[in-house]
Parts: sequence; C-alpha cells; structure tokens
Amino acid sequence: MSYSPELERGYRRLLACYPRSFRRENADEIIGVLLATAAEDQRRVGPAESADLIRGALRMRLRPPGRPPGAVLGAMRLMCAGAVASVALLITMVVTTGDLKSAILALDPAFTAAQWHGVLVELAVREWCAPLVVFVWLWLAWANGRGRNWARLALGAWFIFLVLNTLSSLAQGVALVAPADFAVGVVECLIAATATSLVFTRRSWLYYQPEPVRY
Amino acid sequence: MQEATFLILTALADGSQHGYGIITEVAQISGGRVRLRAGTLYTALDRLRADKLIEVDREEIVEGRLRRYYRLTPSGITVLSAEAARLHANATVALKRLRLAGGMAT
Repeated sequence: MSYSPELERGYRRLLACYPRSFRRENADEIIGVLLATAAEDQRRVGPAESADLIRGALRMRLRPPGRPPGAVLGAMRLMCAGAVASVALLITMVVTTGDLKSAILALDPAFTAAQWHGVLVELAVREWCAPLVVFVWLWLAWANGRGRNWARLALGAWFIFLVLNTLSSLAQGVALVAPADFAVGVVECLIAATATSLVFTRRSWLYYQPEPVRY
Repeated sequence: MQEATFLILTALADGSQHGYGIITEVAQISGGRVRLRAGTLYTALDRLRADKLIEVDREEIVEGRLRRYYRLTPSGITVLSAEAARLHANATVALKRLRLAGGMAT
C-alpha cells in the first residue's frame, strides 16, 4: 500500500484509548500491522477498524488482573452490555424525538407549545446524561472485575436507581408515548438485576472477600 | 478456548510469527473464514503473554518499524495440544454418530 501520514495519525489517535503501558510496548508494532493490512490508497480509518480498536482498548482497560470466577466475568459482560444499551437508548431518543411530539399530541390534543418545550428540555438533559450513564456501567464493570467489595454494593444501588427511574417513567406515561425508550430502560433494569445477582453468588463472595492473610 | 485464541496458537505451532504473519496464517488456516483485525489480535496476544502461553522470540526493525516475532511456550504447546485433542475427540464422536444415523454421504 502507499503510505499515508493521515492514516497513521488516525490509527495513533485510536491507540491513545489503550493503557499507556500497553501503548509504550506495542503501539509502533500495531501501527505497522494496521498499515500493512490497510487497503491500497486508504487515507482514513474505517468504521470497522475503529470499532475493533475501541473494543480492544475497552477489553484491555476492563481486564481484571487476576482470574475472577465465571459469575463475576458474566456480570462484567452484562455491565458492558448495559453500556451498549445506554448508547442504544441515546440513539433511540435522538431518532424518535419527532415521533414523540405526534404521539403526545395524539394522546393529548390540548398539549401546548410551552409543555412541549418542557419535554424537549427534559430530553436534552437525558441525552447529556447518557455518556455519564455509559461511564457508570463501564466503571462498575472495571471495579467489580478487580474484586472491590464496594463495587458490588454500588452495582446494587445502581440497579435500585434504574428501577426507580423506570417506574418514574412509567408514572409519567413514557411507555405510551415513547415505547422504545421505555423498553430499553426495562432491558437496562434486567441487565442490572442479573449482574447484581451474579456478583452476590457464593463463589463470587470469595472473590470479593478473600481470606485474610494470617501471620 | 475461543476460536480466535485457538487459531492464533495454531498459527504459532510450527514456528514463530510476527503480527501480520499471524493474521495471514489465521486466514489461511480457517479457509478465509476468520479475518483477525489488529485490535483483536494484540488484545489476544497480550492476554496469551500474560498467561505465559506465548513469548517474544525476537525483534527486528523492518523499514523503520518494529517487528516482533512470537512463539509458543512449553505451556502453550501443552494447552494447544489438549485443546486440539478435545476438539478432535468431539469431532470424531459427532462424525461417528452422523454415520450411524445415516446423516452423512460418506
């Protein structure tokens, strides 16, 4: 292939997502492989390559140092799935904003412009909070993978928060006007419930509370 | 063991390989079905090195870029042999049962 400095810069930007120690040792080698596998005259990093590098970086950062039991590994995978569900929720909210207004008007023809403005503000707040929700999921996966005892309590608290949030949406009638948003919210609750139950199993307990060192 | 891990270890079974070499070997072994990308490959290589199943054989500088060759460790050979034997045993049983049921042409 013909060498493109622009392409190399794009790869290096994505490699910045990896842990520093990994980058220091492997970045030049990976760049060499990426450039060798790039298409002829490719100038930009493709979406599949970007997704692969970001996924690799997430795996490197979330990888637990020891060997957690299967239940904890399963819970970590579910928490990553929770992050994906949050991204799906954000996309759904952005895409269905137009449909939302017609759904609300169908239910309540007297809905005023001022009320719609209030809904838009609430949507904007939820959209801005979405990256924070993704971060919380990934942070919980990271901390639980390291066997931090507080992390599974935090996961339990997160589950309760998600359930209360979903119940609040139900009370506000979100299930009627935005069924897709509500469905993703329910999926997040189910993911949190299953992950919480996994980190509180008997085998997981030993991972979170190892035997104290005796002198 | 995941298929990608098995194929990476298999690519190193008959000698050391560098990253790009592993990608092409894996594609060849799998008949083009599995095409590893760099992110997936180096995440797997890092884990396999941490588990002491592979190690760095040597390093070269080619056209100003680092090229690192990886090889199986004795522990990696043992793990790959055990996994290959397990897959072989499972495949043998499956083929035998299919033949008994008349589900295979040969």
